[in-house]
Order: sequence, then structure tokens, then C-alpha cells
Amino acid sequence: MTKKYDTPLLDELEKGPFPSFVTEIKKAAAKNEMAADELGLLEKSFRDKVTYWKHGGIVGVRGYGGGVIGRYCELADQFPGVAHFHTVRINQPAGLFYTSEAMRFICDVWDRYGSGLTNFHGSTGDIILLGTVTDNLEAIGTIFSINGFDLGGSGSAMRTPSCCVGPARCEWSMIDTLDITYDLTQEFQDELHRPSFPYKFKIKTVGCPIDCNASIARADCSIIGTWKGPIAIDQDKVKDYVKKGMNIQEEIVNLCPGKCITWDGNNLAINDSDCLHCMHCIAKLAGALKPTPPFGATVLIGSKAPFVVGATLSWVIFPFIEMKPPYQEMKDFIRAATEWWSEYGKNRERIGELILRMGMREFLEAVGLTPTPEMVKEPRRDPFWFWKEGDLEGKPWESWLK
Amino acid sequence: MEKEELKKQIYTLIEQAQGKKKYKQMDIIKHFRNLGVSDAETKEAIRELIDGGQLIYTYMGGSYIELATKLEKFEKDIFK
Repeated sequence: MTKKYDTPLLDELEKGPFPSFVTEIKKAAAKNEMAADELGLLEKSFRDKVTYWKHGGIVGVRGYGGGVIGRYCELADQFPGVAHFHTVRINQPAGLFYTSEAMRFICDVWDRYGSGLTNFHGSTGDIILLGTVTDNLEAIGTIFSINGFDLGGSGSAMRTPSCCVGPARCEWSMIDTLDITYDLTQEFQDELHRPSFPYKFKIKTVGCPIDCNASIARADCSIIGTWKGPIAIDQDKVKDYVKKGMNIQEEIVNLCPGKCITWDGNNLAINDSDCLHCMHCIAKLAGALKPTPPFGATVLIGSKAPFVVGATLSWVIFPFIEMKPPYQEMKDFIRAATEWWSEYGKNRERIGELILRMGMREFLEAVGLTPTPEMVKEPRRDPFWFWKEGDLEGKPWESWLK
Repeated sequence: MEKEELKKQIYTLIEQAQGKKKYKQMDIIKHFRNLGVSDAETKEAIRELIDGGQLIYTYMGGSYIELATKLEKFEKDIFK
């Protein structure tokens, strides 16, 4: 019989139409001491408006530098079940596909070795298993490992790469996000489990510019599926949308950032050379418009949440790259970029922040890329001239002045 | 430098820095690079020390490499 706490404040969170995490913790608390004490502690935290958790980043599984986030409770005497309440991150399958057998296995392990509380999934994408004790960590690591799972990333390391469902379920996916994520995860095992970077490094892959995984805002390296061919138009289907009440001029033409669409009331035309590949029109006119091959990806670098500097979106590095196995160009780029960052980055400085501090010129030189117009972030900025001493010896300005 | 000697020197570096300075993996690599040891050799030696349980990765606002003995002391201290 587990302890029972009065939880009037938490009970409020069970009211209303939405699923409640409190209800779920209560279910776990009926059979698990850790979950019961977690409920009591949470009620106390709500009452006192104080958190009683301590962070301790020392515990882990031998050989791994990440995957376990140490948590201890300041009120261990009052709530002994949560004296240790470490979080374990398990590398999720690409696209978050599970068999029910795999789900049962994960839950059974966690009922036995942890609080029974899980979070599918954390922001990074990992399976999050909440609440266990230090003595159970080695057993948890071993059990998951021999059953085909592995710990995820945490700390100053490559974080578990993640992706959208991609071609498994989505007609718009222009790259095999699942295979790319699996391949990159295998390639960067060392970087994932042995933190050697100045800070975290996230890779997120999405199949199209709709960007369901928000990779452009959340990943240090965003891989976004795109197309190079013209957008195919089925005029009859466009007219069907008009019949159903869509205002093509207002909802499609006027919202095109490239101003490349025209509509004469009968025919839709797209000037593909001015298209910015935002995919707004394709998403709104599903079935009527379609991207055509060649397919590949746009690779961007540097987005992050606020820390050393404010939040940033990713910056285009490869306007178009063919994403075909074994993805060697992508792997070489990630290695070159992270080596440069490890060499010059300060503690807790993300790669995007280092690029802002040292300049895109330095970064492009380090990764061996030639600047292209697509890399220019804002007009009248980022000229990327790479003047070297040798260039100036020839006095190039003399010929320009003539 | 022989691998065993390198491992010993890495361990000593971390041991002597205890309480004064925290080393990240790259700091150790740079330290031994200045002594003429290749990055790959240092990385391999660190890996063996971690896998052997003599050193551990810790996270305190960034990932560091510290003595494995720190864990026991840390858990004792945290419940004081």
C-alpha cells in the first residue's frame, strides 16, 4: 500500500476537458512509492511556491557521458521515495514508430526499476523515463542495451537526432528522414555518448519546408527536404478549391512571399524561378499543386533558444544538397563544423553563437565551403569576401578603377 | 607517448586539478597537443579511462571530466 497525500491544489488540474498529468501520476501512485511521493512533493511545491528539486549532473551509466539527468529531492526525509529521482533518456526510434510489444517492454522496465512515470517524448525527441535511483542505473542501461535500445544524448554532446514521420506517412516528404536520422545516429555514436563539445548540438531532419519538427528554430543543424523542379499544377483541382469557397487571390496569391503566383480567375500560374520554396501554396492546395524532382534538402545551421544571445533561426549553408545514402557530404560537413566549434567555442556557446561571434566568413573557411547568394541572411550584409594577402598584392582595385 | 603513460598523465592532471579547475575533454586534448600528443591518441586514452571507471563525465552547466570517486562524495554531501 503506497502513501496517500491530500492534494487539493493538484486536484484542480484534473478539472476541465483535457487529459491531466495529475490523473496519470495518481494512477502510477496507486502501485508505486516513488510516484506517490512525487505527488505529495508536487502538492507541497504548489503550496509553498518553491521547487524542492536539486540538480546533480554526476550520475550516469559507466562509459556514457549522457542519457541520465541527476535529480535529488531536498526533502528526502519527508518524501523518501523521491530522494533520488533521476531522469533517463532513451534514444527514440526515428519517426517515433513503436510496436506495442516495444512499448510494453519499456513500461515494464520502468515499472520495475523506476517510478512508472514516462514522457513520450521530451523536447529533444527522446523517450523520457522519470524517476529512478542511482543504484538502478547500470541495470537500466544494460537491459535497454541488450534489447536493442540505447541511451539518448544529454550534456555538452550531440543530442539524439530526431525527425518527422517523413515518407512513412507523409506524401510531401522529399527525403527519407527516417533513414537519414538512423544513419546519422549510428555515425555519431561517439559524439552522442561522450560529451566533447562546448555545449549541446542538435540535428533535426524534416521532409519538407512545412517543417513539422520545427527544425529551423530548434536544431543547430536543420535538414529540410526541398525540391528543384517546377511546381506541377492541376488546374481542375484548383477550380475545385474555388468551387468549395477558397479565395485564391487572398489565400494563395497575396500570401506568396516570392510574389511568383498569378491567378486570372481561371488559371493559376507560377513563376518557379522566383519561388522561395516556402510551400504555403502546396499545403493550402493539397492535391492541386505538387513539387517535382529533383528532390534533396536545404541544410541550415545555428538555431537555438535564448542563452548567450537571444533566440536565433537557422542560417542557410547548403541551398540544395542531394540526400542519398551514405550521406557522406552531410557527415563530412557536420564533422568539420563541430571540430571548428570544439576548437574555438567557449563553454556553453552554441555553434550559431560562435558563428555570430567569429563571423560566417571564418565558419565557411573552416568547413571549406564557397559562399553562395543563398547564404546572405539580410540585404546589404554578409558579403563574404575572403581577401587574402596574396589577393591584395595584385592590387585588384586598380583594374576596377579603370 | 605510450598509451598507459598517457592515461596515467591524464588521470594525474585531473586529480591535481580537483577543486581548482574543471577540465572539458577538449581542454585535455589541447593540453596534450601542446606536449606533442595527437588528438586521436588523447581521445582514445580518455575513452579507456572512462570505460575503465577511473574517470567520469559530469555535468555542471557544461560537461566535464572528473575523478570517478566524486560521485560517492557528491551523493553523501547532497543529503547533508
